[in-house]
Amino acid sequence: MLYLLLCAAASVLRMLAAYVLSVLLALVFGVAMARSRSVERFLLPILDILQSIPILGFFPAALAFFVTVLPAGIGVEAAAVFLIITSQLWNLIFGVYSSVKSLDPMLFDMSKVYRMGRATVFFYLCVPASRNSLVANSLISWAGGWFFLTSSEIITMGAAEHRLLGLGTFIMEAFERGDSYGFYLGVASLLTVILATYILVWNPAGETILERELISLRPVYSTIESSVGSLWSTLGNLMIKAEARIRLPSFAGKAIVIAVLTSIAYFLVGGLKQLPSFDIESVYGSLLEVAYELPLSLARVSTIVAFSVFLSLAATYASYARKGIMLVVLLVGEVLASIPAVVWWPLLASIALGSPLGPYMVATVVMLQGSLWYLYFNLIVYGLAGLRKDLEEMSRVYRIRGLWYLRSVFIPSLLPSLASGALSAWGGAWNSTVAAEYVSFGERVIDIGGVGAVLNRKAAKGDALGVAMSALLLSLVITVFNKALWKRFFEFIERRYGGGE
Amino acid sequence: MSPVLSLVNVTKSYKQDGRSIQVLNGISLEIGEEFIAMLGPSGCGKTTLLRIIAGLEKPDSGRVDIPENAKVGFVFQFPTLLPWMTILDNVALPLKAQGMGWGEARERARKYLSLTGLQAFEDFYPREMSGGMKQRVNLARALAVEPMILLMDEPFSNLDPLTAESLRSEILDLWTLGVTTVRSIIMVTHSVDEAILMADKLVILTPRPAKIAGVIEVRIPRPRDRRSAEFQKLEDRVYELIAA
Repeated sequence: MLYLLLCAAASVLRMLAAYVLSVLLALVFGVAMARSRSVERFLLPILDILQSIPILGFFPAALAFFVTVLPAGIGVEAAAVFLIITSQLWNLIFGVYSSVKSLDPMLFDMSKVYRMGRATVFFYLCVPASRNSLVANSLISWAGGWFFLTSSEIITMGAAEHRLLGLGTFIMEAFERGDSYGFYLGVASLLTVILATYILVWNPAGETILERELISLRPVYSTIESSVGSLWSTLGNLMIKAEARIRLPSFAGKAIVIAVLTSIAYFLVGGLKQLPSFDIESVYGSLLEVAYELPLSLARVSTIVAFSVFLSLAATYASYARKGIMLVVLLVGEVLASIPAVVWWPLLASIALGSPLGPYMVATVVMLQGSLWYLYFNLIVYGLAGLRKDLEEMSRVYRIRGLWYLRSVFIPSLLPSLASGALSAWGGAWNSTVAAEYVSFGERVIDIGGVGAVLNRKAAKGDALGVAMSALLLSLVITVFNKALWKRFFEFIERRYGGGE
Repeated sequence: MSPVLSLVNVTKSYKQDGRSIQVLNGISLEIGEEFIAMLGPSGCGKTTLLRIIAGLEKPDSGRVDIPENAKVGFVFQFPTLLPWMTILDNVALPLKAQGMGWGEARERARKYLSLTGLQAFEDFYPREMSGGMKQRVNLARALAVEPMILLMDEPFSNLDPLTAESLRSEILDLWTLGVTTVRSIIMVTHSVDEAILMADKLVILTPRPAKIAGVIEVRIPRPRDRRSAEFQKLEDRVYELIAA
């Protein structure tokens, strides 16, 4: 029992570390992108790709990298935190970026006239401006972090297996032992922890800052809010004071950027040297394998996204019609979206192993969890907020109801946020193929084919380079799809349904 | 009297759709301890000139001579307040940014808020205030840095006529009583009436690219009466100059 508590604490701490780092990174990168044209030109396309590729595929390489660069214990831990960060960071960065970008430019003129330094502008203009979108996106990111938690706690690389102290490991070990009591106990504590973090922290935050009703309890949040607030303002004041005292020469900023880039490059080269040597034939082989299995995954991902669009629209309409439904569905969604991908398999093991179609059903559930909630959260948080009061009143006056209302007012109003939610769902679905298409129960391996399965097979063989190469090819394909398909779709939606009259 | 600020042959052009559009065409002007109103047809570059004086933009050629360490206050056309801060903190922030502690900065901010009649509202957030009150905060913030030069960019153009009129007379009171650190005011406006009512000197600019069309001193004693004959006569003269 004590061990279970210890595991829960370790997992929560891991999540917290990753989340705090994600928020700091999001603020720094988001603000830098919004404020500097050259940073924007450099980072925007990179982030665009990063947010929609299966990061899990790069994980073995990242692990090898962290383990070689850092001492073993810290290396594995760092790799786990890194993986969680990659599942939280992108939407946070984009949230900060668009908030700062859409600030009234006159405010920046004002800051210039009154000679406010970078620290003042960062702490008093950019960060407060990003607060709402940070909170809204944290509701999603926190779930995304849990979703990948187990994958980050047990890392198999060929013969070597790293296990970290945590709830994910606890659950998987209990399952492998055939200890069903331990397994359900682990899952129950996981659900409790997730539920508690939402009811005690995120939902109150959403209620206070987004002014939206959510199921929540306040007291813990108030303490957190005031202590984080005072910590943050102390930090801000220190930075501003330092900046007012020390006038850095103008090239200092560039020098810091160059120093950071150089040290990253240094570590990267050092880590890459440790990787197995480049074998052109095996690379060729993995490319072929990916190309062969790709259509299968593409079909699955497209089906899942289409299904998610349908389900989330239905759930959004139900939430819109009855507020009680919204409160419950949101909370259920927060928890379901958080359940780690890998836990679904043992949880639904009886279905998965029960019939030949079983694995496909469970894979569908896993992929749905990895994509549906992006859509639903987007629609609830941004979509319903964009539903215009005057259009609602107009519909009531002219008695536009039922299906007509859905077709002519409700869905068109939601389309912009439906589109951006669908893009996230598409990325999420690709990412979850890694957890959905392949799983091993001790001796038994379930492999339903597809790119995600390819990545797993290679990782099981310890072929880090093959995994990275396959992931790279997959990223390329996804990027092509994004540019060719999604971009046009977005432009069409924006032209037709975005903005005012 | 040595000038507080001088502009020497300032030029500026913008790139638009690949073409270069000249906005300012050699502006030279000396400004002493006085209230200047800058008038001209819309789009002539008045605001650009003000932004160059404030250091928000650089002239293509020519220069702006301001005494070293001279502080500049700027009353923006819109209030330009941070919505997440109380008005007290909005006024204190520029002081804070220059290295003052919060305590001292707020003390100073309070002083200038009471000068603009807002002492009772220091804990209010901008969204809780009317347009006229927000514009007063904008003014208090500009005065609180204790500037030598006060720049105002059409400060009354977004207020209803009654509010605008009372804010005009308040600013005039502050100016004539000399209770602030301001030694020169430069106000951009497109209202001839407002310019004559308030300023010591009118600088009239030509249509784009702007040159100085003329400088007229207003010798009517304050408080000025819009219906007086000399006011009317001066107004006619300014309109002639703008039309020319």
